[in-house]
Amino acid sequence: MPNSKFSNNAFLHFLTLLLFKQKGKHIGAILISVIIIFLLSSVLFISASLQHTLLGTLEKQADFTVSRVEAGRAVNTPLSWLDKIVEINGVSRVTSRIYGRYYFAPREKSFLIVGIDFFDEQNSKALQKLSQGINLKRFLSTPNMLIGKGVQAFLNAHYYKKSFSFKTPQGSFKKVNIYRTLPSQSDLIANDMIIMPIDLAREIFGLGEADATDITFNVPNGAEWDNIIAKLHLLFYDVRVVEKREVRKAYENLYNYKGGLFLILYLIAMVTFMLILYQRYSMVYSTERKEIGILRAVGWSIKDILKLKLYETIIVVFVSFVFGVILAYLYVFVWGAPVLNQIFLGGANLSNHVVFVPVIHFGLLGSIFLFYAVPFLAAVLIPAWKIAVTPPKEAML
Amino acid sequence: MVVLENISKIYNEGTPQAFEALSAIDMRVDRGECVILSGVSGSGKSTLLALIAALDKPSNGKIVVKGELISKLPDLHASEYRAKRIGVVFQHFNLLEDLSVEENVIVPLIHSGLPLPTIQEMAAKSMQRAAIGHKAAQSVKELSGGEKQRCAIARALVHEPELILCDEPTANLDKANSLKFIEILEMLHTLGKTIIVATHDPLFEKLSFVSRVIHMEDGVIKT
Repeated sequence: MPNSKFSNNAFLHFLTLLLFKQKGKHIGAILISVIIIFLLSSVLFISASLQHTLLGTLEKQADFTVSRVEAGRAVNTPLSWLDKIVEINGVSRVTSRIYGRYYFAPREKSFLIVGIDFFDEQNSKALQKLSQGINLKRFLSTPNMLIGKGVQAFLNAHYYKKSFSFKTPQGSFKKVNIYRTLPSQSDLIANDMIIMPIDLAREIFGLGEADATDITFNVPNGAEWDNIIAKLHLLFYDVRVVEKREVRKAYENLYNYKGGLFLILYLIAMVTFMLILYQRYSMVYSTERKEIGILRAVGWSIKDILKLKLYETIIVVFVSFVFGVILAYLYVFVWGAPVLNQIFLGGANLSNHVVFVPVIHFGLLGSIFLFYAVPFLAAVLIPAWKIAVTPPKEAML
Repeated sequence: MVVLENISKIYNEGTPQAFEALSAIDMRVDRGECVILSGVSGSGKSTLLALIAALDKPSNGKIVVKGELISKLPDLHASEYRAKRIGVVFQHFNLLEDLSVEENVIVPLIHSGLPLPTIQEMAAKSMQRAAIGHKAAQSVKELSGGEKQRCAIARALVHEPELILCDEPTANLDKANSLKFIEILEMLHTLGKTIIVATHDPLFEKLSFVSRVIHMEDGVIKT
């Protein structure tokens, strides 16, 4: 039967009536709730998206990075180390890297130059994505480079549209053509990055044939990691070893820390909101008090009153939650989180217009819902209960 | 029908502000009677009515309505008693202002377990009886004092209670509306309802269908 239980249910009918006829009462609560849910969800979406992207990138990187230090200061790493590391049992995919920051003094900005051996198999996978469609023969025939979006915007603004001349340590200039920009998906990591052939990078940094910036390698057996570190320290007294898991922790901490600050702000906003709600539904709120008194006087029990308030609040919470989350989704993943992204990416050398990859953890959304719904329900139900247990005669006054 | 034995009500009991609103009240109202509780403001008649309606509890004594001791009912049973056995008409109407007449009238039946169409039928019948059926869809906010009172009567009658309690029902009405209210009261009396009216309106004292007038003064019944 179409005229079902639902449409014949007097309680649901009355609940709907109250929601629509007292919409003024609920709209304020919904608006504030939407703002709070929106803020919290936005922060968590950004944080989750950044972590996902960074950790995803990190996964593709080598397990260990070693470099040479002199009295704690990073210096060039001799390539002779490479041969010694290869001989350690359990080590694989040993490779040297050349990279470093190139300082553009007139504007106090710096670019990250990464020198790559385009014929090295180990680099090929990572490069495939970044260098899709590149004619390698043509690319390597003259000094060329691939640049991130941030670098492109910066160089464009300074009229370097087709090429840029790097100043070498010897004081001469090395002109390098801009071959093309890196894809937008890589903005988070490659915004201020310049990728060029390894020999070209060596020339710009003035690095000798026997030196590299650092050496990377993998150790597939995780249980061996500590042993490998010990062996490295035995082999080289001046080695600095960075493990991938340390970098991972550092990334997580950075974004958890920034997200944590927002959680504190959220908590403050939430407590304030709950106080307002509590005040609103408390004994001093005479209309609410009288309404409950009337319902009690015509035969509603305390349980009936609490049921009505519970359903009313659940609907308000649910509507606010859905709107807040949808708004946050649009704000972060469609509009790129203006303002907030600067707080997360702030301090970046070149302004970064990151495209956030949509990452939603349903467990996280569930937590937000509970974290929000439980205090909200308490802020409404406790005062409602307090009114309901007073004699109806007093409540109606 | 209604038996009160040695009823007293003390507000702020045990404090220096303690005030005895009712003292040693004994009263009996039989089925089908229409009894007027008269007296000036503060004489205790509204308090007495609230105790019979289980809207408050007496400090001492017992109230029995149709064989059931209602003076010490736990909340759930007191609510059921109000929802099924009695109808109350308040001086200030006590309507839900955001709702229409019909929506106010159905309120006591929301938790009755009856399907909505049945409840709406009962409400229509009750509104007809209280002469407010023509305003069923109108918001309570837009009603005159007399119409609000008739809406409150319809709400009090919707579940067909045997006992009807009216607290100063004409205090906020003009004479024409007061007479209209008395007409409805007489109709209810002919239907066999037991009625107790707390009022200081002299209009009620010489009505033909009134069984008795009980005069109250300073919380006690004057014989």
